[in-house]
Amino acid sequence: MRQPYYIQPADSSLICEGAQLITQEEIGTIDSNNVAFWLIDMRVWTEGWDQLCWIRRNLSPAIYLKPVVFLTDSDDIPREIITASEGCISRNSCDDRILQEWASRVEPVNQWIEHLPNAESGSDTNIAFKVLRIITSRNLELEPLTTIRRNSGYVYPLLEPLFGKRDTGVLETLSFLESQHLLSGRFVSRAHFCGHCSSAFLNFKEVCPQCNADDIDSDELVHHFKCAYTAEISDFRKGDRLVCPKCERELKHIGVDYDKPSIVYHCNQCSHTFQDPKITTSCYNCGRESEPEHQEVKTIQAYSVSAIGQNAADYGLEALFTKILDTELNLFSEQAFQDFFQIEVARISRYKLSASSLVMIRFHDLDKLYIKLGSRAHDVFYELSMIFKTVLRQSDVITARNETIFFVIMTETSGEHAARAVERLQEGLQALFASNLDFKPEMSVKIEALRAELDIEVTLEGFLKNDH
Amino acid sequence: MIIENVIEFVAGLSTGQILAYFWPFFLLDMTRYLFLDFIVIILYVPKKIIEKSKYLRARRQLYRERPLVSVIVPGKNEGKHIPRLAESLNHQTYKNIELVVVDDGSDDDTATICRELEKQGKIQCFIRNEVRGGKASAANTAFHYSKGKYIVHIDADSHLALDAVETILLPFYMDSTIGAVGGDVRVANAERSLATQLQAIEYMKSISTGRTVSSELGILRIIAGAHGGFRRDVLERLYGWDVGPGLDGDITLKIRKLGFRVVHEPMAVCYTNVPESFRRLAKQRFRWDRSMVRFRVRKHRDILLPSARFNFANFMASAENIFFNLVLDVKWWIYFVQIVIFNPSVLEYIFIINYLLYFMANVLEFVMACVLLHASLRKKDYALAFFLPLIPLYTGIFLRIVRTYAYIMEFFHGASYLDKWNPWKVSQVVKKEKL
Repeated sequence: MRQPYYIQPADSSLICEGAQLITQEEIGTIDSNNVAFWLIDMRVWTEGWDQLCWIRRNLSPAIYLKPVVFLTDSDDIPREIITASEGCISRNSCDDRILQEWASRVEPVNQWIEHLPNAESGSDTNIAFKVLRIITSRNLELEPLTTIRRNSGYVYPLLEPLFGKRDTGVLETLSFLESQHLLSGRFVSRAHFCGHCSSAFLNFKEVCPQCNADDIDSDELVHHFKCAYTAEISDFRKGDRLVCPKCERELKHIGVDYDKPSIVYHCNQCSHTFQDPKITTSCYNCGRESEPEHQEVKTIQAYSVSAIGQNAADYGLEALFTKILDTELNLFSEQAFQDFFQIEVARISRYKLSASSLVMIRFHDLDKLYIKLGSRAHDVFYELSMIFKTVLRQSDVITARNETIFFVIMTETSGEHAARAVERLQEGLQALFASNLDFKPEMSVKIEALRAELDIEVTLEGFLKNDH
Repeated sequence: MIIENVIEFVAGLSTGQILAYFWPFFLLDMTRYLFLDFIVIILYVPKKIIEKSKYLRARRQLYRERPLVSVIVPGKNEGKHIPRLAESLNHQTYKNIELVVVDDGSDDDTATICRELEKQGKIQCFIRNEVRGGKASAANTAFHYSKGKYIVHIDADSHLALDAVETILLPFYMDSTIGAVGGDVRVANAERSLATQLQAIEYMKSISTGRTVSSELGILRIIAGAHGGFRRDVLERLYGWDVGPGLDGDITLKIRKLGFRVVHEPMAVCYTNVPESFRRLAKQRFRWDRSMVRFRVRKHRDILLPSARFNFANFMASAENIFFNLVLDVKWWIYFVQIVIFNPSVLEYIFIINYLLYFMANVLEFVMACVLLHASLRKKDYALAFFLPLIPLYTGIFLRIVRTYAYIMEFFHGASYLDKWNPWKVSQVVKKEKL
């Protein structure tokens, strides 16, 4: 039976009945399999937060992935701090029963940690990988929380202790994991950020289009039908009533004896009158002012782990197909691929002696394959990469957009020959899966002859768009 | 053959017969429009030369003071004309001008055009009313947001001669009792059709010469909405314009009632686009002529009646207009009946002689206009003379029929209250209030 471990605050003799007592320094020395969760005292919440950060920034999966529960006795701890843990126990109600209840509640996380190979001895140095494992171990959808304590305006509380103050790093890491199909995002909101300092704290304000002052007033325009007098509503106000200054008649029914044709703004600085106030933003952090269109707009998403992501969290990023393919075939970055494309196009156009082909390949339902294969993914993908290696030649250039999309430049290969190579690739795939699994791989392929007028970016994006 | 007969017919007429056959021309039109105009213009031209030093002094004073002048342009769906208008303001000899444009519920791209011009600094204030309120409310909106000491009201489909703003302001500096100055309105699109050519001649006669004469006689009754200059304090006392149609004539009378002089300045030139077809022209005049009944006969009837505030000049301004336009309109129909019943055998001779008389009168009036305006006329304006033979038909038949129809419709049906020129909501209220 796993036990809760109360991490004793530094320079303190506090204890928690029902929980094992441990100091921060001793954490690495105990068998983490016995730990149900780390219980952190939040009497001084900043110290408690430091302890949480220390745990999450540890490289050992057995330590940083462990659930953390806060022991609190006040309600004034910021929401994004509280939600960075699995939950809170009130000091007043903390007893054996509660602690055991929490131990049961977080048991699925502990079991997930337990099934990891090398959880005790491993060392996760890649921050993206740690993020992936944290999310996978909790089996949750990671939702953003609005906050005034971070410049970014949004936090993912569970991930905060991993990153500390480098809060923009969180968004970048999540974005990277999504681009690799390891996480999938769900739209939550769209937010403006300062183009200079990335702060989310922008004051959107209406200003005078002439002098940029924000000291402006707006007033409704009133048109009295009877005498055609038209002025701001303030000109008509006489106590609670509206009385026309021109004909001294009371305005009673809007639409019958008067209407309000528009709203007019007046600048108190330069006396300019206008109807289209300019919108500007000023950043609370760096103080810079600029138009909204010059600020950065980002989509804020909630993230959950994809099937590929689950596999990667279990067996490491090395188990991914691209990693294996990279080892066997030497994958180029997309930029290098594009550079080579330009050189090859120039060469073909210059000599006009031979032809080269661009092959675009997309695998469908590869995530299902990850789920099916589990720990065997590495072996199958190794086989798959061998098929690639057999079909492609040393002189071919290959890059991967992600786990499922590959682009190949087949040098000195006509479209016809490239199609034959793709056929062989398909046959190899079918043979592999037919003999090993009950799985029919689907793939889309497009072949283009390299020529001067071919725009690489447009072609690649066109392929991806049409293939959806 | 027929000419010989006509000559023979004229030679055989006694003075009494001449008057009996051609009394409308000799007793009324020749006296009022030819002799009176001739005498006034003969006096006006040397007066202008004599007053040159006064004029120069006023100009110096204007430039010393350099007041802000607000050019206000209310309109609906007029966006396409605004860039040219803004450009003509940009090149004015007088520079301290602000352009205030009010878009009265346009449903075209007027707002987009004007906002762009506002961004470029060519319009100083642009107000768009999403809901149409009518010309008067749009003019009042523009006036409300203008800041100038003088207000120049112009139509959006007009543009100004380079010295127009300066020239229209000078009378204010020559006489402090002047409350408003009418600018001259010329036809910008004269070459477009026969209708526009005839209107160009008509404008030279009735606006350039006619209003100069009325102004000199102290009975000017209208300052055209297309081009009029006003003192801000005067407009403030009146709280701007009242509901139209005919709001320009209405405000002129109201200014007169306040005790201010209103004058016409023929050298302050504004070019405006006039209707290009006779059908559209008829619709425009139908609207203008009805306003004569609605405002002069109904709304400002008090001018004609004896009261403590009775003013002879104001009385004459209104009475002359009512008499020569409204009452004498009936005379034509009486004359027509008289000739048909009593002299059917010489009908064609009387028609030909009348035609010749009015043609000659028009030639003389055209010459007077040329003398009066020569400094501001272009070559093509003189070429309008070729169309003079058609003017008797245009004014004597076409405009007369439209006018008679307008008077009847306004007297018996209050047609102006149903005019789509005003939004329905406004027409309902003014009809109910009998305004």
